[in-house]
Amino acid sequence: MSLELTEVVKSFKDDLVLDGVTLTVDKGQTLVLFGPSGAGKTVLLRLVAGVIEPDAGRILIDGKDMRGVEPEYRGVGMAFQNFALFPHMSAMENIASPLTARQLGASAIRSGVDALARLLKIDHVLTHYPRELSNGQKQRTALARALAGQPELLLLDDPLRNVDAKLRFEMRLELPRLLKSQNATVVYVTQDYKEAMALGDRIAVMNHQGIQQYGTPEDIYMRPAHSDIARLFGDPVINLLDVVPERSANDVMIRLSGQPLTIGEHYAHTVSMPCVLGVRPEAVQFADEGTPGSFPVKVEAETPLNEKTVTLMLTAGNREIMMSRPAGTPGPATGTAHITVDLHNAVLFDHGTGTLIESSNSKTGLHGEVA
Amino acid sequence: MSPVERVLRGLAITLVILFFMFPILWILLMSFQTNETILRVPPSMVFEPTLINYRSLITGKLQTAAGSLEIQFMRNLWNSLLLSTSSVAVGLLLGVPAAYAFARLKFRGSEDIAFTLLSFRFAPPLLVLLPLTIYFQQIGLANTYIGLIWVYQLIVLPLILWIVRGYFEDIPADVEYAYRIAGHSWFATFRKIALPLAKPGIAAAGLLAFIFAWNNFIFALVLASADKQPVTVGALAFVTASGIQYGQIAAGIVLSIAPTFALAIYAQRYLVEGLSLGAVKG
Amino acid sequence: MNQPVLHLDRVDKFYGEIDKGVHAVKNINMEVMPGEIIALLGSSGCGKTSTLRMVAGFESASRGRILINGREVQTLSPVKRNVAMAFEGYSLYPTVSVRDNIAFALKSSTVDATETGRLVEEMAEMLEISAILERFPSSISGGEQQRVSLARALIRQADLYLLDEPMGQLEPQLRTLLRSRLKYYIKSRNLTAILVTHDQTEANALADRIAVMEDGELQQYASPDQIKERPANLFTGTFVGEPPMNVFPARATVVDGSVQFELAGGLALRYPEAEFQESVRQQIIELKEVVLGVRPYAVKRREDGAPAQVMVNQWLGDQTHIAASFADETIVLVEHDRVRLSDGDTIAIHLEPDDLHVFDPVSGRALSHGRSMA
Repeated sequence: MSLELTEVVKSFKDDLVLDGVTLTVDKGQTLVLFGPSGAGKTVLLRLVAGVIEPDAGRILIDGKDMRGVEPEYRGVGMAFQNFALFPHMSAMENIASPLTARQLGASAIRSGVDALARLLKIDHVLTHYPRELSNGQKQRTALARALAGQPELLLLDDPLRNVDAKLRFEMRLELPRLLKSQNATVVYVTQDYKEAMALGDRIAVMNHQGIQQYGTPEDIYMRPAHSDIARLFGDPVINLLDVVPERSANDVMIRLSGQPLTIGEHYAHTVSMPCVLGVRPEAVQFADEGTPGSFPVKVEAETPLNEKTVTLMLTAGNREIMMSRPAGTPGPATGTAHITVDLHNAVLFDHGTGTLIESSNSKTGLHGEVA
Repeated sequence: MSPVERVLRGLAITLVILFFMFPILWILLMSFQTNETILRVPPSMVFEPTLINYRSLITGKLQTAAGSLEIQFMRNLWNSLLLSTSSVAVGLLLGVPAAYAFARLKFRGSEDIAFTLLSFRFAPPLLVLLPLTIYFQQIGLANTYIGLIWVYQLIVLPLILWIVRGYFEDIPADVEYAYRIAGHSWFATFRKIALPLAKPGIAAAGLLAFIFAWNNFIFALVLASADKQPVTVGALAFVTASGIQYGQIAAGIVLSIAPTFALAIYAQRYLVEGLSLGAVKG
Repeated sequence: MNQPVLHLDRVDKFYGEIDKGVHAVKNINMEVMPGEIIALLGSSGCGKTSTLRMVAGFESASRGRILINGREVQTLSPVKRNVAMAFEGYSLYPTVSVRDNIAFALKSSTVDATETGRLVEEMAEMLEISAILERFPSSISGGEQQRVSLARALIRQADLYLLDEPMGQLEPQLRTLLRSRLKYYIKSRNLTAILVTHDQTEANALADRIAVMEDGELQQYASPDQIKERPANLFTGTFVGEPPMNVFPARATVVDGSVQFELAGGLALRYPEAEFQESVRQQIIELKEVVLGVRPYAVKRREDGAPAQVMVNQWLGDQTHIAASFADETIVLVEHDRVRLSDGDTIAIHLEPDDLHVFDPVSGRALSHGRSMA
């Protein structure tokens, strides 16, 4: 089932939440809605589910306009962030609720519930009430309930938000197979960029009442449309350094801590424009003093981060710069050091608006050769 | 908690209970005494219990110093029961769906309507009653059970509406959305999700409404004649020309407390269940 | 030897009656040395917050002694203990500005007004709250409130800083940066701090030593490296580490001069006897049924390895997570580069004896890490 939103507008009282959202999800695809809290992700899901109505715009499910169609007739399944289990019903009755709505026979319901419960490893707690379930079991029960009606459109509202880190990781690995086995079109809301990258065929980054960028995980990580988006993807956060490209003898170059680096003729349009250079902490490396393009920094603190070592450093101009490298690779933990910055995957943003500056030749990025 | 603390706490609780329960206990004791033993000086806890008060209430013969008087206490008790039960039943039937609507559907003017209903309680009952009496006489509702039950809605309905509405609002909307999305109509959602989850609230509201209706005095005093009057009005008969019949009043109180008391104990189960069900949130 | 800043001596906490109520903290012994950052790490309900509140003085210890700089403090009120605390629930004063909230902590000290102003500005800059100094707590986000609460605790002069989930609500893109700055701040001033957290990333990033707690008991108290390389038991091994450690039940035997671990599905891992210390080998063989643990980062792909079928391959920008079915279980491996594998691809997995952790399946106790005894 495909999903199509056209110019959808929604506000609550004077509070504009969605300002003309247009979006398409192809059949069988998983779309991740990613964004900070308050970006309207959950509202968008509820509009699709039909529990609230848009002020303007159209929502098409499988090509059919959903205006005025009650939620029970939309054929969607939904899992909620806070699980929203029915507290007065057992896990079994919770999961069975989409099946009872179709007035299936007791044995058909039973077998449907059992199959899902086994798949999600909750078959031993089916008689328990929600208050007797652990957080992880609640989450799986909610997921099973959303899947039970075999919906062709599945809406998952940050289903891993309220479970612990270990379970979240396991579910992140499990979910793609589970979703594929259901053959459903999925809209998945999350605030965790790792979940977004791992689960999404496409990601829609939501911010400021709309969709700021839409693309594959690769598009968004490698070519973020705005410096705000660059800051949301990646841990540790991307380094944003103020630069002003200038013309050198036969190329365009920028200066990092005084060191000239060429960025290529296809960035000629940025000369003398105040820009922000986005460099991932992984692209910063220690170098021997005197290495071409290297500059000195003061190492402030070294912190481990999941098998990576994150180093916070100060440049001569007192600007902070962060480096991330696989744990165990050698490097100074304090004192003065020299670093180089690899610009191959770096990006340039407009200093004023924060938007991505494309090169005039779309195939080539920043050169980053030492000038 | 140390043993000393436990003893002290027990002592304190006993004192509080004694303080609050003493009047009721005293009334219970009075109901088994004659007027003479009640009025002796100094009062004493020791007496020979008698059932004469209850007997006279049940047979409808009030014994006074000046002789025997006819009273309709049992009839009044029956009226109280009928009026209160029917009023609460009607109130729940109308009030619970209305409360759900006010909680879930934010339609234009919904707050104003809800507030207007509550404001019925602000008006002094007597002020409402005078015009009502005239209307009721014109349309033939004066001195009928139906008329009284209707007027009792002034007490019962706002109470039920506002208490139950709060309980409905406490049910996370997501829980109801989940049931709708699972393929159920809004009415099924109301019956299978909202009603069961608000049950403790409905029980509490019903109980309170029953007590308020039971204790009402002024509506029935004005709108009902002797054969339709509840105990609250009927108790006036105990003040006789030859003095106040304390023993029989006490017995009357005990009998008229009994239904509300029994109901409270019965409903307590649901109230407690509501608290322990606490998983509604989160 | 230096005197510890904090010494917990056989501390118990019961809610309700001693020996009858809920036993929230069980016989904890712990020392915190000057200049150390300690993390109390555990899931909710493990007793870490109760422990912190006992140190701060908001709860009394049911049994045992608490010493701060050698002085018993059980009977002292929180203000007299000279500790500064940042609360999880922020607890800011709602009626005064963010600036005054932070400055308030210095009110009773000897610091004069201009110095206070300078300290507040400095703290605000470090925690990225300079822009909201004039706002009121109700108009700022949860993450900002948390940073204000942290600033208010850090600005004080105290013997010990207690930080309860200091970054739980923080915007993710700020977390790593602020962690680095916080660590620099504490270390450069030689302060002593204890933080309570359920987030192992935070504990690993900030702490010199981590106290892993579960079910009221101290499971292990050691440096992050120690905990990673030599987890004391199966709980610590699988709880600390992201992604979590892979574990496989195995039957250990010695066959033709090799130590053999028989896994489910008929798969066997063999290592020359010489790879293990004599004592390790003996213990493993004696126990026979063991649990093997290996960290996702230590799982290697090598041509002569055992076969595994790829189930999921997730690229996260700076690393790739791969889950494969291996010996009837799922094995997770992490690579720092982008790896392109599809569902169903066969990979060959190799586990170095150096990276194997062996646990007793019954008690959960670690027997060996790599080639040496636990």
